[in-house]
Amino acid sequence: MPREAEPSLNERQFVLQALRENLRLDGRPFDKYRPVELIFGEQYGVVEVSFGKTKILAKTSAELTVPYVDRPLDGIFTIATELSPMTAPSFEVNRPTETEVLLSRLLEKTVRRSGALDTESLCLVAGQKCWSVRVDVHVLSHDGDLTDAACLAVVAALRHFRKPDTSIEGGLLTVYTPAEREPVPLSWLHSPFCVTWSFYGDQGEMALLDATLSEEHVRVGSCTISMNRHGEICQIAKLGGTPVDAVALLQCTNVALVKVKDFSAFLDRKLAEDAKRRDKGGLMAELSAENDR
Amino acid sequence: MTATTAPEAKLQVLPRADGSAKFSSAGYTVIGSVNGPIEAQRRDEHAYEAHVDVIVRPAAGVGGTRERHLESILQSSLAQLILVKNFPRHLIQIVLQVEETPENDYANAKLVQASLNFPILPALLQTAVLALLSASVPMRATATASFVAVLSQDGTNKVVVDPPPRDIETARSVHVLAFTSHDELLLAESEGDFTVKEWDDVYDTAKRICCQSGGAKTGIEMELDDAGDNGLDMRRFLRSAVETKVEADLHWK
Amino acid sequence: MPLDTSAYSLALLRVDGRRWNELRRIHAQIRTQAAADGSSYLEMGHTKVMCVVTGPSEPGPKRGGMTGGVGGGGGERSSTADVSVSVVIAGFSSVDRKRRGRGDKRTLELQSTISSALAASLHTHLHPNSTIAISLHVLSQDGSLLAALINAATLACIDAGIPMTDYVVACTAGSTSTYAANDEGADPLLDMNHQEEQELPSLTVATLGSSDRVAVLVCESRVQVSRLEGMLAVGVDGCKQVREILDRVVREKGRRMIQEGTIEKGMSLDDMDID
Repeated sequence: MPREAEPSLNERQFVLQALRENLRLDGRPFDKYRPVELIFGEQYGVVEVSFGKTKILAKTSAELTVPYVDRPLDGIFTIATELSPMTAPSFEVNRPTETEVLLSRLLEKTVRRSGALDTESLCLVAGQKCWSVRVDVHVLSHDGDLTDAACLAVVAALRHFRKPDTSIEGGLLTVYTPAEREPVPLSWLHSPFCVTWSFYGDQGEMALLDATLSEEHVRVGSCTISMNRHGEICQIAKLGGTPVDAVALLQCTNVALVKVKDFSAFLDRKLAEDAKRRDKGGLMAELSAENDR
Repeated sequence: MTATTAPEAKLQVLPRADGSAKFSSAGYTVIGSVNGPIEAQRRDEHAYEAHVDVIVRPAAGVGGTRERHLESILQSSLAQLILVKNFPRHLIQIVLQVEETPENDYANAKLVQASLNFPILPALLQTAVLALLSASVPMRATATASFVAVLSQDGTNKVVVDPPPRDIETARSVHVLAFTSHDELLLAESEGDFTVKEWDDVYDTAKRICCQSGGAKTGIEMELDDAGDNGLDMRRFLRSAVETKVEADLHWK
Repeated sequence: MPLDTSAYSLALLRVDGRRWNELRRIHAQIRTQAAADGSSYLEMGHTKVMCVVTGPSEPGPKRGGMTGGVGGGGGERSSTADVSVSVVIAGFSSVDRKRRGRGDKRTLELQSTISSALAASLHTHLHPNSTIAISLHVLSQDGSLLAALINAATLACIDAGIPMTDYVVACTAGSTSTYAANDEGADPLLDMNHQEEQELPSLTVATLGSSDRVAVLVCESRVQVSRLEGMLAVGVDGCKQVREILDRVVREKGRRMIQEGTIEKGMSLDDMDID
């Protein structure tokens, strides 16, 4: 396993000096994201998100299974995050690195523990049958700010996903195939998004949003804030690093709320666009039928 | 979803890998990255040649025996193509990430599919070759692959290229064949009952798809029409995908 | 666990009889293990942790555990000391006796947090090519686990004599209203116990000494953004109280060691001025 190249002293100095002069290497303001792209796949629940050169693929899948013994009324919901050597050759299969553990914990806390997905609605027969919904996060390319991109991808994939329709008649559970009945969306409660701040300077007085990989290498600390558009904090994680003034942190949360509202509106728009695109066939068929008459 | 979609490919889709490609055909979408030649770990180090490491990752769920099987097939095929002797003690790492697989609308998919791993093999191989080309890894030859099934319909056996998932389930036998650009058979994997005669038919069909030389051959194309497939020519496709990329890269000239 | 938190508004007393701004009893000891370079034992209420520090020492042949910090992952030639933390949560520490494996992500996150919080305060650049191994054992859990671990690790590092800018002290803060309730009269709470942590939104905050600078801020529950300011203010204030308590422990131990003649009273150590 080759080690990831660490930035040289010159690179470090260059990035830091530029930041001191209020400049970022790509010319962005400190509190601006790179261009965010979101593409839904042909299938439901597949989404590719890119923040500049950071690319994430998320895929949602569901299967029928038996609920956990200690939680007979809940379905199963897992988020699997594994960084493959595709991200960088230094990541090895089946050997989680610190980046991977922290990313998966953050997604878990943001999406799963905040109750974004109603797991009770996944239960079909108490203690016997439930859906197991699984989101696989594949990091295709890592150029900083994995958390925010991965969180957007997970939320988008889950909201885009459709699970097969089911019915229970007289204790008999029927799962309909997509050909028999149109699949149904998951029961979704709120959409949390992550906003990650990176801190620079001896006192952590400079704060950047959406740091690129070279900026992440030289940062002295970071803080990930997860919120939904109703202004509810789902999770905050400033896991060590250089201490930052408490007031500055509060300011960061206020800016984060604005960004989260942007993300929320962006995703709503994309989902609506996709729904329209998929509906086109049905609509066209209706129109042509009318023309026939 | 229609299963017989024309193949599409894009090179250098990932900015940080040495080489990468995205390939989609017959409902399968695979994204591949190649890093290499890089430093090999002690346990993978060969004194005389480069170690080719292939990692196949499913879209959903964790990789299991199914993926390991595909990896071993691909590993041995690709090691034949790459000039491994040029890079002793090195590692050439190929990661193939499956993005989408065709869905069977008439059955609910299970996360774990123990069998049925052959239909994806051509897409994986094609992606790997494209990614290797994009990473400029020296190769002896390129390769093209195809998936062919023998279906028994109304008592007669029919050779079909890239059948939809529903037909694969009922097919008598399925075959994956890959040919190098020197028209040599690189890979032949078969599953199911078949006679030598049937295999010969399959071989001819696959060879026609994989080894058509660039020029227009009306006679063969007419024959292909008969087989329900209009001149699918993998080699020309491979060439044009690379040509497009080179043209785009050199547009400043 | 059903817990009647609504009783709070009647008497303004919490389930264990504390007021909103009261810490639980903190009992701390340093130099508990004679053989170790640095060691400590800390109780915050019923949360009890033990810490042993080895180092700064030459890195061993195997690099296990979670490495982290500002050293950049610790290559062969790092210019700063590596802070490697291992947290062991004893099976008997909590009621449900849940076995946690080595690869438990929550434990790994705790380790990484502690490592990177301390690395920012320790003068790691004074010890290149070396490792500071911090080993933490959780004997009993009753909320505020991360805070107790950070405090214990700080004490042990002081005992080990590793140069650092200031104490890294931590405590938790919460709020009496759940995220759903939108009432204005929600009070912030200081130092959450296990019951309160289950029921109410809470956060862990660690500051550098008695300053307002926050090294760690971890919130794992849903809470209105407007509540954050109050909770953070109470938390930071709590950290200052914790620092006083820990400082007293260190000074007391130093005084005793001089009296016993374990160390000589030096010129620079006039009345053990740590600051």
